Amino acid sequence: MTPADGGDRLAAYASRMRAARLPRGLHPVAWWLWALALATAASRTSNPLLLVLVLAVLGFVVTTRRTAAPWARAFHYYLVMALIVIAVRVVFRSVFASGITADDHILFRLPRVPTPEWYAGIQIGGPVSLEATLSAAVDGLRLACLLCCVGAANSLANPKRALKALPGALYELGVAVTVAMSVAPQLVESVQRVARARRLRAGRSRGLRAVRAVALPVLHDALDRSLRLAAAMDSRGYGRTGTATRASRQLTGVLLLTGMAGLCVGVYGLLDPGVPRPVGLGGLGGGVVLSVAGLAVGGRRVSRSRYRPDRWQWPELVVAGCGAVAAVVLTVGTGYDPAELNPDLYPLRWPTLPVLPTVAILVAALAAFAAPPPPRPRPAPVPAGARP
Amino acid sequence: MTRRILATLVAAVTVPAAAIVPVPAPASADPLPIGRCTTSSGVVLAVDFRSWGGPLLRSCGTTPTTGYELLNQGGWKTTGTQHDGPGFICRISHAGFDNGTPYPTPADEKCVLTPPASAYWSYWHADPGADTWQYSQLGAMSYQPKPGSVDLWIFGGTDIGGTRGGPTFSPDSVRAHNATPVTTAPPTGGAPAPTRAPAQPPVPGAPGTPPGGAQPTTGPTRSPAVDIGATASTRPPTGPPGTAPPTSGGTAPQTGPAVVDAVPTSASAPTERGSARPLLFTLGALAVFAIAGTALAARRRRHTADAWPE
Repeated sequence: MTPADGGDRLAAYASRMRAARLPRGLHPVAWWLWALALATAASRTSNPLLLVLVLAVLGFVVTTRRTAAPWARAFHYYLVMALIVIAVRVVFRSVFASGITADDHILFRLPRVPTPEWYAGIQIGGPVSLEATLSAAVDGLRLACLLCCVGAANSLANPKRALKALPGALYELGVAVTVAMSVAPQLVESVQRVARARRLRAGRSRGLRAVRAVALPVLHDALDRSLRLAAAMDSRGYGRTGTATRASRQLTGVLLLTGMAGLCVGVYGLLDPGVPRPVGLGGLGGGVVLSVAGLAVGGRRVSRSRYRPDRWQWPELVVAGCGAVAAVVLTVGTGYDPAELNPDLYPLRWPTLPVLPTVAILVAALAAFAAPPPPRPRPAPVPAGARP
Repeated sequence: MTRRILATLVAAVTVPAAAIVPVPAPASADPLPIGRCTTSSGVVLAVDFRSWGGPLLRSCGTTPTTGYELLNQGGWKTTGTQHDGPGFICRISHAGFDNGTPYPTPADEKCVLTPPASAYWSYWHADPGADTWQYSQLGAMSYQPKPGSVDLWIFGGTDIGGTRGGPTFSPDSVRAHNATPVTTAPPTGGAPAPTRAPAQPPVPGAPGTPPGGAQPTTGPTRSPAVDIGATASTRPPTGPPGTAPPTSGGTAPQTGPAVVDAVPTSASAPTERGSARPLLFTLGALAVFAIAGTALAARRRRHTADAWPE
């Protein structure tokens, strides 16, 4: 090998590295792994500062790396939902008082609803302390964080491409999910188009008449679309069972069902401390083996070719990896005081910020820089002559 | 759109911030030396630390009170869960046992969610004269113990009806037997006093001295005699926290827990508030993310507009 040869190879390698960063959609599985890892990290802690950092990282990555597709606008709604979750948690904690200690800081007092003797276990109303409110807010914040993780994955990953990564045995299920997932954005688009058409025709009707005037065309549109989709799917051979025999289909069904049952037993056994450990582990292991076998057997009957498959390149690896760092650091709990992940609000004190988990969560923000920029939106087709 | 996302994000963070209005603490139950509890006044509180090699600690409190106040006076302290608040007793500590370490420790139970029914502090009552324990139908903050009754906390698994996993000893082994309050001078020597029948020497697996805690035998008020009246609870609150020694050898050889009378201590020193710096750092990081996100998104929009001029 001559030096020039090596140099060429190096240059080719470098250009491949650069090519991976050209504007394109990241592999959807990478985004899902990243988001689920952050959700795992968030579920391990009730430290409000760490949870806020997780939210900040999610918001930052979504703002910088989402596409212009309809599903990419979903994050805003997840944030609103997160606020609602926190509010509901705080209101419930205030109304169904959980008790006041002598050292509590009272914010305000709700009217106390007297409860009969046999119902004395539940208090309704009464003083609301800062401690109880904060504790409810933090509890809600954690759930909100999990919601936003799923929201971020939904906004960043292309759902249609994500379903391409499904194993062959889940093919039909995947088709149903794809159709279901594309309903909402299509409906929104339909409504917008119908509304625009009505504005052009100076349609002025309001109230019930307006609903009828919008709903009927939208329904018509949806029916048209589903017929077109069905025809397109039919022509591509969806729903055919291929060369599978009746026996192999039944084997797949039995394997998958028992596998799923094993997974349920295993997860329940691992979460309930009353169940012996081997039962949980055995159930989980058996379930995984049976499910994988079922998927393998089922996948044989469908042979698919993929058009322009998503390739797993180094940005995908970095994105999934930096999410995994956060999950591992917060799950393992070494290198810092694990008690700092779940700070106590009684007595009230400023929350602390353990260094290692903070760094791990900030590392997850690197996904915004590792991921290639999203593809630019194509311009809307302009009718000939409309452009000056 | 971006700005709206950031605004919502900032709102999500700042909503929990609220004004702090300290209020004067309500009067709580006063701790009493164990001799003040009689068959008709005061409440005997017993907490079973035997799961961690500790004693069955016993103390006395005034009435009226709630089960919660009883557990938060005279050296006792409880921790609630994040999910249920302080009303759910998740950890119990006493200054005299293992230097006031709360049990179960964070390694065993995180006290974030409600602990499982297989390992939690269950609450039992025995009314004056009752021979059996009754599983509490109310929470510690709602229940008001009757004068002369016994409140017991044991750790382990019970079902909601209290039919399984109840206490293995009778209320008689911990309740007060004297009809009038007994006040005695602090014991001066090692004069052994008569002992109560149910109290037993420490059985294997249930040592009377806490691990790593104050050793009663080395304390300044060494008193092997702990009849319900003759108590060693006159130690000044500033002294080292400790427990009186377990009641020594009873005459009735029945099996039972080693009962140790807890010494009431004054309230612990106010805890420090910590520093607000981590909060400021988080807010700073939030601001950096917000500014960077806005700037990057704006640049991308500009580039897109350049590439596809309208």
